[in-house]
Amino acid sequence: MAAKRFWLIAILVGAVFFGLSLLVPNQYYFQAGYVVLQYIVLATAWNILGGYTGYVNFGVAAFFALGAYSSVALYKLAPLPLPVLILIAGIVSGVVGLGMGYLTLRLRGAFFSIATLAMAVVMQTLITNWDYVGGSRGAYILRPAQVPILGNYIVYLFLIMLILAVITIGIARSIERSRLGFGFAAIRDDEQAAEAAGVPTLRLKLVATTLSGALMGMAGAPLPYYVTYLDPASGFSLSYAVNSIAMPLIGGMTNWIGPLIGALFLGTIQQLATVTISSALNLLIVGLLLVGFVVIAPNGIVGLFERVVERARGRR
Amino acid sequence: MKRVLCAWFGAVLLLAGMAPLTAGAVEPIKIGFGMALTGGLAGNGKAALVAIQIWRDEINAKGGLLGRPVQLIYYDDQTNPALVPGIYTKLLDVDKVDLVISGYGTNLQAPAMPIIMQHGMTFIGLFGLDVNHQFHYDRFFQIQPNGEDPSISSIEGFFQAAMTAKPTPKTVAMVGADAEYPKVALEGARKIVKQLGLKIVYDRSYPPTTVDYTPIIRSIQATNPDIVYVASYPPDSAGMVHAAHEVGLKATVFGGGMIGLQFASLKQQLGEMLNGIICYDMYVPSTTMNFPGINEFLAKYQPVAKEEGADQLGFYLPPFAYAAMQILTQAVETTKGLDQGKIAEYIHATEFDTVVGHVKFAANGEWAKPRVIFVQYRGIKGNDLEQFKKPGTAVIVAPAEYKTGDVEAPYSAIAH
Repeated sequence: MAAKRFWLIAILVGAVFFGLSLLVPNQYYFQAGYVVLQYIVLATAWNILGGYTGYVNFGVAAFFALGAYSSVALYKLAPLPLPVLILIAGIVSGVVGLGMGYLTLRLRGAFFSIATLAMAVVMQTLITNWDYVGGSRGAYILRPAQVPILGNYIVYLFLIMLILAVITIGIARSIERSRLGFGFAAIRDDEQAAEAAGVPTLRLKLVATTLSGALMGMAGAPLPYYVTYLDPASGFSLSYAVNSIAMPLIGGMTNWIGPLIGALFLGTIQQLATVTISSALNLLIVGLLLVGFVVIAPNGIVGLFERVVERARGRR
Repeated sequence: MKRVLCAWFGAVLLLAGMAPLTAGAVEPIKIGFGMALTGGLAGNGKAALVAIQIWRDEINAKGGLLGRPVQLIYYDDQTNPALVPGIYTKLLDVDKVDLVISGYGTNLQAPAMPIIMQHGMTFIGLFGLDVNHQFHYDRFFQIQPNGEDPSISSIEGFFQAAMTAKPTPKTVAMVGADAEYPKVALEGARKIVKQLGLKIVYDRSYPPTTVDYTPIIRSIQATNPDIVYVASYPPDSAGMVHAAHEVGLKATVFGGGMIGLQFASLKQQLGEMLNGIICYDMYVPSTTMNFPGINEFLAKYQPVAKEEGADQLGFYLPPFAYAAMQILTQAVETTKGLDQGKIAEYIHATEFDTVVGHVKFAANGEWAKPRVIFVQYRGIKGNDLEQFKKPGTAVIVAPAEYKTGDVEAPYSAIAH
């Protein structure tokens, strides 16, 4: 399918989805939907580096929180519209992603992952000691109760996150079918061979870390407006990293639809578990699903589906 | 045809029979909240839940609230602020609760505020620190006896007591975690220390992830302070006490705002190491805190808590959670309805008699009069919890209204 047609369909699906969502009579749907959409963005962004390029990033929370704290800093400086805050958060996180790419360009495999984890710790320490954004005390964000046309502010946040999810999926899908995507895949399969074959591995890795970081930061930017109180412990919560990695693993890491399926599946289960089982069991669910998928479907739901289709074709 | 008619007739009879039953069924009053039942704050969250459930059982045994049974609808917020907006929206929009109270702690109250305000609900918070200072919501009430300025009132008693120690202290060392409460407490402590003219010889903070506190205590010891003021969360409080014991800290007064020393689990774990420490508290068994109903409440709470795995003593959060429900009961029954505006107006205008004493709220929803107590642990032997249930192991040294004894000093001379 041509990229233009995909973008058009993605926008159309997003618009129809939002239109149908407006028919739901309670705000809880938008609250829960916002979280699921946020994970679609995070999982897809993580997959650009982790799935396409094969570099496992454990520092998701750092980029996510960086986006959130960019919003807090700008909120205190001058009140700007949320889309502008998201854009700035994307730039800030993208620059940090680029920096991380440069600093870790010689690291591969587990060493790269440990470096990203260390970066999250460094970032959290910096934010904890930066009083302007609330430091360890945390920061309050007062959001308006209503917005024009849409009414409730949570509907506005939901729409913003939906647009972000459509854009992120569009970018991921465009990368997958482009020279850039083939370059990423070459790095994932064998970096040295790719380098020998003339693939500009360093440049591509930097593109991946920048893009992935920027999108994660953009997902974090509306967070202070969602929770209205942000402290380092919740902004840098490990659950963001765990979920962002688990979702592509469960959905499938080699294409754009895997993280989308994983985030929809796992995100929805977690939201349901919160108000039904009502306990931290949802992290247990993530763990059990991860173990289950690693054993039964190492290539995720997409891989499982492909295997079933191939078998069906073979029988014919 | 005959069979169809019979079926219709039977159905009509059945519906007619059910009609009086439906009309007579009383819709319960639903009270909703999120509570930390797992995660970092679960220890206190579970204890608060037990207290609220005791209140529910009592009120239902008396015929309910406004003649309707009370139903609690609660979800585990997992000590995760990001879950709170969803939980309160679910409670208000889907479960259609009639009344709401908060979960435990500042960062689990603040995310609920915009939703609560949007629905115009009266909101009673459990142990949050100055949550309403940004929102200025006139239907918010805080159940924590901090007074209008929590940064001062939860600290000044410690220094009042410390200054009565002999020899009179001249220097102070202050230390706290890089986290919300310790930061506020240390800011307040600096103001008070300045007023008292004490010399600060050590003023540092440490990352919340710290596990070894011995180097911190050693560097404090090197400055030879008279007072050592610590503002900490439960894991660091335990670490600090262990380190002070290990290093053999020499100071006239040691303690301060150490969260956790009030909990049964830490009391049991630290045992004799607590002797000599002066720390804030909210309630301890004593002749000056014999509020009406407190003993009856604790007698009901303690056996249930043991079964449920909650705090076995229940001196810290549970009586306050129960008091919150007493306040809500009185407000609903007196205003004879669930009109949130009227309930809030009534709570603002009334002084309540609760199991934690008289409660009157200031305009910002905090307690009008601070009532934090400071206790000095004494005569603790071994790790038996029973000894904490009797007056004597925690002597109230401030404020004067609740005082049961003078400060014993120096800390280093007390066997611990």
